[in-house]
Amino acid sequence: MKPAGYYGLPVVKPPVWTWEIPVYFFVGGLAGMAEAIALAAFSTGAELELVRKAAWVAAAGAGVSPILLVMDLGRPARFANMLRVFKWRSAMSVGAWTLAVFGACAVPAALLLQWGEGRALHAVAALLLFGAGVLGPLLATYTGVLLAATAIPVWSAHRTLLPIHFGAAALGSAAAVLELLGSRPPALSAVGIATAIVETMIGAALEIGRASVVDRPLRTGRSGNLMRAAAVLTGPLSLALRLVGARTGGGAAFLFGALLSRFAWIDAGRCSALDPEATFASQAPP
Amino acid sequence: MPGLGTSFGRGGATTAQQDLANADCILIEGSSMAEAHPVGFRWVLKAKERGATIIHVDPRFSRTSALADLWVPIRAGADLVFLGGLVRHVLENRLFFREYVLHYTNASCLVRDDFRDTEDLDGLFSGWDPERRTYETESWRYEGDDLARPLRDPTLEHPRCVFQLLRRHFTRYTPEMVEKLAGVPPDLFGRVADAFTSASGREKTAAICYALGWTQHSKGVQIIRTAAILQLLLGNVGRPGGGILALRGHASIQGSTDIPTLFDILPGYLPMPKAGTGEDDLAGYVRNHRKVAGQWSALPAYVTSLLKAWYGPHATPESDSGYRFLPQVSRDHSHFSFITEMADGHVDGFFVMGQNPAVGAQHSRLERKALARLRWLVVRDMVEIETASFWYDSPEIETGELTTANVATEVFLFPAAGHAEKEGTFTNTQRLLQWREQAVDPPGDARSEAWFIHQLAKRLRSRAAAAGDPLDEPLRALDWWYPEDEHGEPHIEAVLAEINGWRSDPAEAAAGLVHSRDAEDRPHHGPQVKGFGDLRDDGSTACGCWIYSGVLGPDGVNRARQREPSGAYAHGWGFAWPADRRILYNRASAAPDGTPWSDRKKLVWWDDTERRWTGDDVPDFVAEKPPDYVPPPDATGLAAQRGDAPFLLHEDGLGWLYVPEGLKDGPLPTHYEPLESVADNALYGRATNPAVRWFVRDDNRFAPPKDPRFPYVLTTYRLTEHHTAGGMSRFLSHLAELQPELFVEISPELAGELGVASTDWVTVSTLRGIVEARALVSRRMRPLQVDGRIVHQVAMPFHWGSAGPNRGDVVNDLIPLSGEPNVTIHEGKALLCSVTAGRRPRGRDVTEALDRLVRETPPHPEAPSTEPRPSERPGGHGHHGKTT
Amino acid sequence: MIGDGIASANQRTHRFVEERTPVGFFTDPTLCIGCKACEVACKEWNGLPEDGFVFSGTSYDNTGALGASTWRHVLFLEQDQSRGPQLAGPMSGGEGEDPFRWIFLSDVCKHCEHAGCLEACPTGAIVRTEVGSVLVQDDVCNGCGYCVVSCPFGVVDRRPQPLPGAGGAFKCTFCYDRQASGLPPACAKVCPTESIQFGPLDEITARAARRVEDVRALGYADASLYDARGTSVGATRAVFLVLGSPEAYGLPADPVVPTVYLRDAWTSSLLTSLVALAGVIAAFALL
Ligand SMILES: Nc1nc2c(c(=O)[nH]1)N[C@H]1C(S)=C(S)[C@@H](COP(=O)(O)OP(=O)(O)OC[C@H]3O[C@@H](n4cnc5c(=O)[nH]c(N)nc54)[C@H](O)[C@@H]3O)O[C@H]1N2
Ligand SMILES: Nc1nc2c(c(=O)[nH]1)N[C@H]1C(S)=C(S)[C@@H](COP(=O)(O)OP(=O)(O)OC[C@H]3O[C@@H](n4cnc5c(=O)[nH]c(N)nc54)[C@H](O)[C@@H]3O)O[C@H]1N2
Ligand code: SF4
Ligand code: SF4
Ligand code: SF4
Ligand code: SF4
Ligand code: SF4
Ligand SMILES: [Mo]
Repeated sequence: MKPAGYYGLPVVKPPVWTWEIPVYFFVGGLAGMAEAIALAAFSTGAELELVRKAAWVAAAGAGVSPILLVMDLGRPARFANMLRVFKWRSAMSVGAWTLAVFGACAVPAALLLQWGEGRALHAVAALLLFGAGVLGPLLATYTGVLLAATAIPVWSAHRTLLPIHFGAAALGSAAAVLELLGSRPPALSAVGIATAIVETMIGAALEIGRASVVDRPLRTGRSGNLMRAAAVLTGPLSLALRLVGARTGGGAAFLFGALLSRFAWIDAGRCSALDPEATFASQAPP
Repeated sequence: MPGLGTSFGRGGATTAQQDLANADCILIEGSSMAEAHPVGFRWVLKAKERGATIIHVDPRFSRTSALADLWVPIRAGADLVFLGGLVRHVLENRLFFREYVLHYTNASCLVRDDFRDTEDLDGLFSGWDPERRTYETESWRYEGDDLARPLRDPTLEHPRCVFQLLRRHFTRYTPEMVEKLAGVPPDLFGRVADAFTSASGREKTAAICYALGWTQHSKGVQIIRTAAILQLLLGNVGRPGGGILALRGHASIQGSTDIPTLFDILPGYLPMPKAGTGEDDLAGYVRNHRKVAGQWSALPAYVTSLLKAWYGPHATPESDSGYRFLPQVSRDHSHFSFITEMADGHVDGFFVMGQNPAVGAQHSRLERKALARLRWLVVRDMVEIETASFWYDSPEIETGELTTANVATEVFLFPAAGHAEKEGTFTNTQRLLQWREQAVDPPGDARSEAWFIHQLAKRLRSRAAAAGDPLDEPLRALDWWYPEDEHGEPHIEAVLAEINGWRSDPAEAAAGLVHSRDAEDRPHHGPQVKGFGDLRDDGSTACGCWIYSGVLGPDGVNRARQREPSGAYAHGWGFAWPADRRILYNRASAAPDGTPWSDRKKLVWWDDTERRWTGDDVPDFVAEKPPDYVPPPDATGLAAQRGDAPFLLHEDGLGWLYVPEGLKDGPLPTHYEPLESVADNALYGRATNPAVRWFVRDDNRFAPPKDPRFPYVLTTYRLTEHHTAGGMSRFLSHLAELQPELFVEISPELAGELGVASTDWVTVSTLRGIVEARALVSRRMRPLQVDGRIVHQVAMPFHWGSAGPNRGDVVNDLIPLSGEPNVTIHEGKALLCSVTAGRRPRGRDVTEALDRLVRETPPHPEAPSTEPRPSERPGGHGHHGKTT
Repeated sequence: MIGDGIASANQRTHRFVEERTPVGFFTDPTLCIGCKACEVACKEWNGLPEDGFVFSGTSYDNTGALGASTWRHVLFLEQDQSRGPQLAGPMSGGEGEDPFRWIFLSDVCKHCEHAGCLEACPTGAIVRTEVGSVLVQDDVCNGCGYCVVSCPFGVVDRRPQPLPGAGGAFKCTFCYDRQASGLPPACAKVCPTESIQFGPLDEITARAARRVEDVRALGYADASLYDARGTSVGATRAVFLVLGSPEAYGLPADPVVPTVYLRDAWTSSLLTSLVALAGVIAAFALL
């Protein structure tokens, strides 16, 4: 049978992004949600130890993320151009600013929470913590928008799911990291269980029914296998482990799965771009 | 181009590419115009936009076919049957333009009664000499042997009038025969016949474009002749939107036949003196070549002026006007002849300028091995082409046939200036001289050809002067006057002035002097002549090429440099030879009485009030000669031609349906099979052109007809993306990346049989060579039904070689040397090959495989066992010029 | 049209940039002879690097696709159907009627009205010029690669190492440099058959519409105009006549500019964020 389109050649270009981007999705998301947890803990008067730990995780992530992004640029020396303009219709521009502001709040917040003496400084810390904490979830979910608003069929097709997916994965990861760092408040395990449930549902949703042309890479090939492995780790496996009380194991599984799933999505995007049929399906009269 | 030369008188395209836009039908056959002449092809598309029917007849569905209304796949080498079929169609259905045929062609002329046609002698004409494998052409002439005043039968009924001979000759070229031999189904043939003939007549005209697909055959000239006959019968010559456009090759290849780089003609298609033919003095030469009537009766003026241009003060009565300095041709010195002599070690030195024979020339294996037998070789090129690098990177190094250490040839590679780096003229495919300004200085030591030749000549002459050897007299006699600039570049426009011609005597009136002072700033010559009409045979004029005369006249205007086009034929842009006539023989665009055939197709006509010819083009006729002019019995020259005789260079002034003199393989076109063929000649007892030259040698073998070892027809062609032997394209990434590898085009059917798919390697073998290429499988190649059998054709571009960044096997390794009788052109467009899946053998295995093939294959039954003695085979571009 | 010579808009010098006149391309495969002069002229003028000596086996197309170093790309389609009134090959004498056609189309950046690349570019490197074309400013681009995945036609790409200019995103500039000095685009200028036609956008679109009518009348029943009109991409500055389905040319039938997905995606993102934050606070508050 004749290949689709023009000798079966791709219609849209595959992403040029390398490993730094999926890793950034993971780290940035984790940082963002960690700050959300810090804010929650702080505002509900939980012990300062946890707040500090969460804030430090967020600050660390906020510090690593830009490095990863710059590493991926074709022309790293021009990283500053990212803040040359603000374009709300460009998810990457919005994301860049979000990360910048988030970092600008998260890092001093962590420092002040650690060493800040006196009421004034505490107030400032609280303020910064609030800012970062509110931006955090956005930082964790905008990456979903970043992928969704592209010409890559499998990404745009899941434009609603991606932010939820990335958000849940980020929140779960944040909880897991804090748990692995030794904080074991019941709230965290509740978050862990909740996110694992959400992930299980998402994983199931992607498996149910026969795959559309566009969804092929989520089920088949390398990207498909990655996707499944990730889904099992973040979903059923970590849930089961948590339910039998193996919080460490559950957390670890979730973390690994969450990282894996980011690679899976980028890979799926690449396959999707190379498949002209997928593009025709996603760019055809309704 | 004797095909056109003998039919119409001049060896050049009868029309201009722009004029194609006026055609009602265009038959492109034997050319892929869209690919090889993409810029000119816009005029074909313009015609199409205006409703013309475009027909492309080609073994491949090419980029030209893609844009045509009608694509006719044909077996390579069968065009003469196809065209003969059209001629028959026109004759049998009385579709010819009677009035035109009657007045403007030699249809009514009577032929000698001892003439015998191929119909009588089963594929031979009368006068065949089996010993020397040449024709005695006496019996082909007109009744009464008077070319100027042939006997004519206006009823066209006389059994020996050309018209009747023509009918008889082509009766068996039926649609069935066309299907049988060319593989063209009758209804498709019918479509072509109807489209072409219905677009001809008073109100309409049809044009024909051809190129190598016709010329590179053992009967190339006769294929073109058949087209000429068709156009004459339909009245399509000399009229707007009609004619035959020979699509020439290199940017100035037309120029290099007008002012030839050929061994057997002098500038302006003057024949080269031939030894042993009574031409030892000018008188004898004139006796042999001057015609009583027509343009050629002025031959003495042309040749004397040429000698004057070359030998200046030394062209005196003592030197027989300089004729004594001319060498005389004793035998065939065409490229292939001296290459074979070179291969046998009989040639010491070789200059190669603007050519890459190690890749571009046929049987390139033999060529390269021949180069290795030289003592010295001078190559001038812009890059290090295979011809310069063969001694260390040729395939023969891989096979061990050559080893660098043992190649004695001393190679001098000179950097050449490219066309944008020097000024001069191009003469393009439509005889148009266009001046080229120099855009940039050549890099480094690169110099123009003119500089090289000029400097070489100066050095040789000083040596000759010193040595005083009588053999060098012609060198000493040369009038090497050219002024030069500070870099020693000769003044090119001064050369053009010499080509245009001048009054010889410097003492003559100052008016009209152009570049009149020599290198030492002494007055060198008199005023420029206006045109070839001013040339004299008494040494008072000099002219480097009579047909170009008028390009730089006494007004000092370099017409090749003009860029103000005006009128329908863009006069004022460049200069078309002769005398800026854009459509040749345009007197035929008017009826015998001088009025246009039709308003739609008027071009030039007789203005009775002004008593002169006028119109949109410069009349290709004596301006004041009335249409009803009848020459007095004693008249000579143009005055000896009637007022309704448009073909000035023929003594009778007629278009020649039948060629009474000037061709070596027959007065009428006859179909012969390619030297290597998949079919028998269903028309005649003999398969191949009897007069063809086989270059008999062990390393130049031909496969017998229908040889099972070589079941496929191979044809070769060029790609738009590359240029010929690749020196100008393979070395440039922007071109080479567009077609990065040698490939062979194969039909899906054949690919199925061979079990190959596109991009797979395949090996193509003949008795001459073995090459590998990528398979390109496409329905653009079609198996044909020939003589009841399925015939597969494969096609290969020939641009690759062993040098440069983008390399590949050399297709010309596959192709044998052979010589078409009139122009000794090879048969590179139709031969036999085998195709097998996979890559070719390496190293010594190649030569072993070849030897095996040669051992196993019986000789071609019609190939002579020994070469007829060379002295009996002078080549023959005489009067008319070569083909590509 | 063809053969207008120096009078044609493809040759004439102009003042479109000064006059801020929107310009466009109309590319017409019924006049294209597949000579690739446009591809070569583009590479020559823009000094684009060679990007691979690969024999593709896909007809005469060894270029493959538009990309960072190929801004014009001539497609070669071989199809088993007839090209308008054309008769290609044996009628009888074998299998009988067997339609076949070879179509050439010179593809290029569409210079979209709503350009995915331009919208996506976070640095503002991609701008809209005075003549309405979409231009990548190489001195601003930091090579983030977001435009690459945001072009619905797969035009713009990031140039890989070790090529000169590597790391930046490149595509057709619509010869902004030439146009700024009054010259027509290189590709249009060299096109021997005026298959590429350059000129003021309104003239071009009118001419394109007329041409489609004409060729349909000539018997090209499957001729249509590909100009993305009525899609989210909006009317493109480069429009094409296509015979048969656009997909066969690798052109999406109904191109979508990715920004249309923003609404859904951001909604999802914001809600997710809210739920997450609220959820975590609740968890800490209650447990
Ligand atoms: N781009 C480009 N242009 C060129 C050149 C180049 O190398 N590259 N070369 C220039 C030169 S030197 C020349 S001489 C001209 C040549 O110009 P062309 O003669 O047009 O070029 P070719 O491709 O050699 O042959 C033309 C066609 O003849 C077909 N053919 C082969 N055998 C037969 C046959 O037996 N019968 C018929 N009817 N057709 C046949 C081939 O399939 C091919 O399509 O082009 C000139 N122009
Ligand atoms: N199988 C097969 N073989 C063929 C043909 C075919 O159709 N099939 N075609 C035949 C035909 S028609 C031709 S014309 C020949 C062509 O064959 P060749 O003439 O041998 O090959 P070209 O590559 O044209 O050689 C021209 C060379 O001149 C160089 N050059 C360019 N400009 C200049 C200049 O100004 N000065 C100098 N000194 N050098 C310059 C170029 O770099 C190039 O290397 O090939 C013939 N060979
Ligand atoms: S290369 Fe020169 S001669 Fe050949 S088509 Fe182009 S413009 Fe004409
Ligand atoms: S076609 Fe692609 S690259 Fe060109 S303007 Fe539109 S979106 Fe940008
Ligand atoms: S790669 Fe360059 S042009 Fe493309 S979006 Fe990033 S910054 Fe803009
Ligand atoms: S407009 Fe200029 S940059 Fe764009 S394709 Fe044409 S030549 Fe290339
Ligand atoms: S230059 Fe014109 S004719 Fe040649 S390929 Fe490009 S668009 Fe087609
Ligand atoms: Mo040629």
